[in-house]
Amino acid sequence: MQSTRLRKRKWYLLALLAASALAARGLYADFRAGYYTPGGPGTIQQALPTIASTDASYDAGQYPIYYPELAAGDGKDEVENNCELCHSPRYITMQPVMSAQAWADEVNKMRKTFGASIPDDTAEKIIRYLGTHYTPETRKR
Amino acid sequence: MRDFQNGVTRRRWLKTLGAAGAALAAGQILDDSEAAGQESSAPQSAPEFTGPGANPYWTSVGQFATYPQKAPLILLTDRPVQLETPRHYFLSTVTPNDAFFVRWHLQTIPNAVDLKEWRLHVEGNIERPLALSFSELASRFKSVSIAAVNQCSGNSRSRLQPRVAGGQWGNGAMGNAAWTGVKLRDILDAAGVKSGSVQVQFEGLDRGLGPKGYGSNRFMKSLDLTNTVIDECVVAYAMNDEPLPMLNGFPARLIVPGYFATYWLKSLSFIRVLDAPDDNFWMKGAYRIPDTPRGNTTPDEMKSGKVPTVPIARMPVRSFLISPDGSTKIPAGFPVRLRGIAFSGYGGIKKVEVSLDNGVNWSEAQFGPDAGAYSFRTWWLNWTPRTAGRYQIAVRATDARGNGQPDEGVWNPGGYLWNKIEHQEIVVGEST
Repeated sequence: MQSTRLRKRKWYLLALLAASALAARGLYADFRAGYYTPGGPGTIQQALPTIASTDASYDAGQYPIYYPELAAGDGKDEVENNCELCHSPRYITMQPVMSAQAWADEVNKMRKTFGASIPDDTAEKIIRYLGTHYTPETRKR
Repeated sequence: MRDFQNGVTRRRWLKTLGAAGAALAAGQILDDSEAAGQESSAPQSAPEFTGPGANPYWTSVGQFATYPQKAPLILLTDRPVQLETPRHYFLSTVTPNDAFFVRWHLQTIPNAVDLKEWRLHVEGNIERPLALSFSELASRFKSVSIAAVNQCSGNSRSRLQPRVAGGQWGNGAMGNAAWTGVKLRDILDAAGVKSGSVQVQFEGLDRGLGPKGYGSNRFMKSLDLTNTVIDECVVAYAMNDEPLPMLNGFPARLIVPGYFATYWLKSLSFIRVLDAPDDNFWMKGAYRIPDTPRGNTTPDEMKSGKVPTVPIARMPVRSFLISPDGSTKIPAGFPVRLRGIAFSGYGGIKKVEVSLDNGVNWSEAQFGPDAGAYSFRTWWLNWTPRTAGRYQIAVRATDARGNGQPDEGVWNPGGYLWNKIEHQEIVVGEST
């Protein structure tokens, strides 16, 4: 009877010791539970199912635009008014960070190879903008 | 049983004490988000861009986005649309239509097609011009089915060093489907190819805003009429027994088994037999690879202007570990089934080998069902890691021609032909 009580007391002592050790680490020994956090990578909404007509038209609807945030600065207007005629600015933000020279090559490719009619001075502004904000040294987001 | 219950009770009590102790140590009452949360790992978003080093992730880093007829896919660009397929979809031989990657070149792409008006035009150097309606296409010719991998020429472009401009795909610009349609040869025979013809050109419904005669105005691709792949080509009106999603080329697209996706024209509407080689931009100026071993070169060699190039064609052999993907720690002693896919544009897969020690020793994997020479081939290998550690898993395949995968990456200015052996770290933790 007495030995049982002693054993119990030993358990309490052990438990207290263990508890303080755990407290110091701030962790449970066996598992951790019940922690939630707001935010994270986020959610996307479900699209509403659409109802098709029975005629010969097969319509997928319009394609959504997910407009990226371009760096603020001189030349941004020129990018919006020229580059974005043929493609979304995601063609800029998708690229890996590249040297100012590589960006100049890209803009010249758009003009010469793809026939984009961008005047020289506007092209220079665009090249300077991309070479200022989208290089390994300068890109923020 | 009683002991077990006591044990649980004791543990619960310890835990309560521990939590209270932690709160005291932190000098505050338990707060949901902070207390005892030193090791708390709130999920982090992927970075918004990668570079100048290689993209270290399996897919590109873009956000997930929803599009018509599509599951959430990884967004590369929104105009024109480019979407990448997440890794887990490659656990099966067939890639679901709603998860199949999307890549258009020009901004004006079809939203809707009126099958009352739509025709597949066969024209050029032929005896009998054709304008086939959707129902004629499906009823007038014998239907055939083939499982074939559709892979973007620039799949894995974000791995190249130095990085090159273009769609920054990870590994998910590929998919495998059962394509049902009509043999291109049957259509050409019905139209009667005239002698003196050299190539057949394909054009879809996509249009660009660039000036006429430039690649920014039309997207067109051609194949030599002497190319044996012509006899394997299918004009597909069904994908995995369903109509093609609009973004994957409804109402019909060209299937070129073994070839990169650049030739697989979507919303195919013009088949044009040419009596002279196609010199449009997409043949003469783009989708060309160095005429060198593996299509490999260097930026300096390119600058010299002396590297001859040829149009890209067949896909080199590739293999991937799909599961486990490294996102989950595995307890030592846990029986793991390594699973993945392999494929080659040069015919079937002969062998898949897996290394559990970063390429020192290799074990041969088992195959899943064979769906044909141009299909994904699933593979698996059982593995029970006995001790904790960081295991570097590598996978390599050998195709029917005996082609293997290299240890070195490739570099060319287009960012094409990447097929380096894939590696994946798997973390095994202690289990006692």
